[in-house]
Amino acid sequence: MLLSGTDRRRQLITAGVGTVLTLVMGLVLFVGFRIATEMRANIAALQTASTLQTYPDDITRQLASLRDRLEARAYSGQALEDLRGTVRRFDRQLKELNATGYVHSQELTRALQLWQEYGPVIEPVVSFNGQPYVDSDTAGSTLSRDGRTHYAEVKRAQLFATDNSRTLQVQLATLATSLQRDASGAAARLRTLLSIGVLAALVLAAAAVWFQFTRARHERAAREAQDQTRDILMTVREGFFLLDAEYRIGSVWSDALTHMFGRKDFAGLTFEELLKNLVPASTLATATKYIKLLWGERAHENLMKSINPLGQLEITMDNGHGGKETRYLQFDFHRVMGPAGIKQVLCAVGDITSSVLLARELQESQDNANAQLDMMLAMMHVDPLQLVSFLDGAETGLKLVNTILKEPARTDAEFRKKLSGLFRELHSIKGEASALSLSSIASRVHTLEDIVSELKKKAELSGNDFLPMVLKLDELLAHLRSVREMAGRLTALKEGAHAAPAAALAAVPAPAPVQPAAARAPQQFARRAEDLVPTLHALAERLAQDQGKRFKLKLAGLGDVPAHYVGTVKDCLIQMLRNSAVHGIESPEIRQALTKQDVGVVSVAFQKAADGFELVFEDDGAGIAPDTLKAAAVRRQLVSEDEAAAMDTRTAMALIFRPGFSTQDGISMDAGRGVGMDVVARSVYALGGKIGVSTHPGRYTRFKISLPAGAASSAVA
Amino acid sequence: MLHEQELKTFVEGTTSFFEVAAQQPASIGSPYLLEGTPAVHEYTGIINISGKREGVVMFTAPKAMLTVLLMKMQENDFSHETMRDLVGEVANTISGNARRDFGREFVISVPSVLSGQLKIPQKPGLRSFIIPINWRSHSAKLVVSLT
Repeated sequence: MLLSGTDRRRQLITAGVGTVLTLVMGLVLFVGFRIATEMRANIAALQTASTLQTYPDDITRQLASLRDRLEARAYSGQALEDLRGTVRRFDRQLKELNATGYVHSQELTRALQLWQEYGPVIEPVVSFNGQPYVDSDTAGSTLSRDGRTHYAEVKRAQLFATDNSRTLQVQLATLATSLQRDASGAAARLRTLLSIGVLAALVLAAAAVWFQFTRARHERAAREAQDQTRDILMTVREGFFLLDAEYRIGSVWSDALTHMFGRKDFAGLTFEELLKNLVPASTLATATKYIKLLWGERAHENLMKSINPLGQLEITMDNGHGGKETRYLQFDFHRVMGPAGIKQVLCAVGDITSSVLLARELQESQDNANAQLDMMLAMMHVDPLQLVSFLDGAETGLKLVNTILKEPARTDAEFRKKLSGLFRELHSIKGEASALSLSSIASRVHTLEDIVSELKKKAELSGNDFLPMVLKLDELLAHLRSVREMAGRLTALKEGAHAAPAAALAAVPAPAPVQPAAARAPQQFARRAEDLVPTLHALAERLAQDQGKRFKLKLAGLGDVPAHYVGTVKDCLIQMLRNSAVHGIESPEIRQALTKQDVGVVSVAFQKAADGFELVFEDDGAGIAPDTLKAAAVRRQLVSEDEAAAMDTRTAMALIFRPGFSTQDGISMDAGRGVGMDVVARSVYALGGKIGVSTHPGRYTRFKISLPAGAASSAVA
Repeated sequence: MLHEQELKTFVEGTTSFFEVAAQQPASIGSPYLLEGTPAVHEYTGIINISGKREGVVMFTAPKAMLTVLLMKMQENDFSHETMRDLVGEVANTISGNARRDFGREFVISVPSVLSGQLKIPQKPGLRSFIIPINWRSHSAKLVVSLT
């Protein structure tokens, strides 16, 4: 928690007051100690001075006693000894009192002077150590010569003491009084000082209590703030953490981070370590570079935000059940500035998985809606019955695809055997969807064709390889169902809910049991001859636009196509028209260079022949060069180089009907898989017909299909 | 629409059971679609799924296959109950795999077992994915019917 200015000031004041009060207390104690020491010296001096007061009288009295004894010729040793002791004690104590240094008064000086004056008169007395008496039988005890001298000295000392003892005593009494006064003053000062000390102690105690209270309040506030921070970090859904200058995570982070990354050991972890094993190496490198850039003072924060590579980071992690799950995280970075520049970087991580998935679903819905709209628009140009016919055929074709898939298979050969059949069925559906400009269906079938192509390239096939196909097949069937519903609604809109076409759409019978595309068309698809013309014109128009070609489609006699041949004729013409648009008709630039008309011509003629019908398809395009066919066949490994070299023109031309043959290297919606002409040939042969091709390189290609007069249903296997 | 990974999870759950229990992996046959009620073998383990997807996943196997499987597992008890338990175990493995891979998005029921060639009702119009499970010379089916 950060301290406010007021809090900081309050803390400083508290600390200042505490310091001052502590100093005051220290001063009080120091001064008190000094005063107490002084008092003790004063009291000792006072006691000494009081004791010394009695000594002058004692000395005078003891001198008198000594004189009396000397005069009475009595024993004087004890008296002298008492006097000697008193004088020595007085002298010692007086000197000690002076030596303490605490007493510097005139009285003491005067007393010392007086005592010095005592010296010459009393010293001879106390230093006497002779025999004061002489004993004789006659006179008894008399003073000896020393005794007489001693007596005279005692007498003189007594007279001096009598004259001066009072003065000395007064001086000492005055000194004692002075010392007593000093002691009383010191005691008063000490009392005052102690009062100040007690007051200061009380103030200090009060300050301590206030400080403690304030600190407790701040600690409580800090604890509450910490609790709140912890609650926020525990509750917030975003992951928050701080990165230091070494790109390491700090010691505090929000709990959401634990859920996001499935770990708890974030403290001290580098940003790189955090993302390692969760994102690809290239993403990790970019993220690390970006984090380093964030520490550049000169990089503008808004600019940094705009180049954030971690705005939507896809990570893969354990899902808690032993598996993996993908999550999308959004990293946002904010610099934390300090006085010396960038201090740390705050990182906010949001789990945007739901949003991303929702956006994706919305996008898919939008795409679906757009696709439906496109489909609806495309369907508006298609005759309803023609559409129903197509949908029936497509569903039947897809059911046949499913039937092929359903055939039990365990070995590579059994799986591989399915591929050609799947290709043919899918190609037919795609061709017709393209012819009707139903691009959403055509593209879905194209995807299925891609899957089959990929399977063909695999060295060994298993059931697992067919899982994507079956999923796409399911998706395509669902799409066809929605197209059928849309068509129903569109027709109802156009002609009223009870109009016949709508009823026809709504009550479309389930397609009958399936047969291969090559054989089923005449029987299964209730296609009408009049549908052929608009369908082929629409296809030609789209193909010209897609391929960047210009050509005219001339149709003749298609109204005479018998109903049972309409499907086959349509499939064949669609495929041949696609081949012409892709391989036959040259681009306008090439045609100009070859001095041909800018606009090419594709002509179709259906007519009765002697033993049935004849369909002639011709374009004035590039023609077919046998060498080109041979080279393509070698390239696609359909024949060896030796076989190709040995081929005559007729055999080379027959290559165009072989499954998997195409002169185009790439695969597009309209060519490249090598399936189309294979389908055409199989359809014709299934009906008992024949197909012939003639060409002149640079001038034309002509296909001539002969069909028997009656439907050759008996030919269907 | 079902995703390829989701379908693979169910398939792997099934094949891995054979690999672990019988030390002999199962392969999958050619998958296909089926509209309507799928035909089942004598023993069928079913898990109900709700959440992101709704529907059922079934493993249905013939008695002969289960008998051989039990033999490979060194079991001597070939009773009806043991067969049921075995099919339940396969369904349980599928369920465990699904829990592991799908996490919280899927709510997966405890497997239940049906015996006899019953008609298991399906939602009208719902296509099932039928994935043949080939093991030795026998063939079982994994039926995935999810919306």
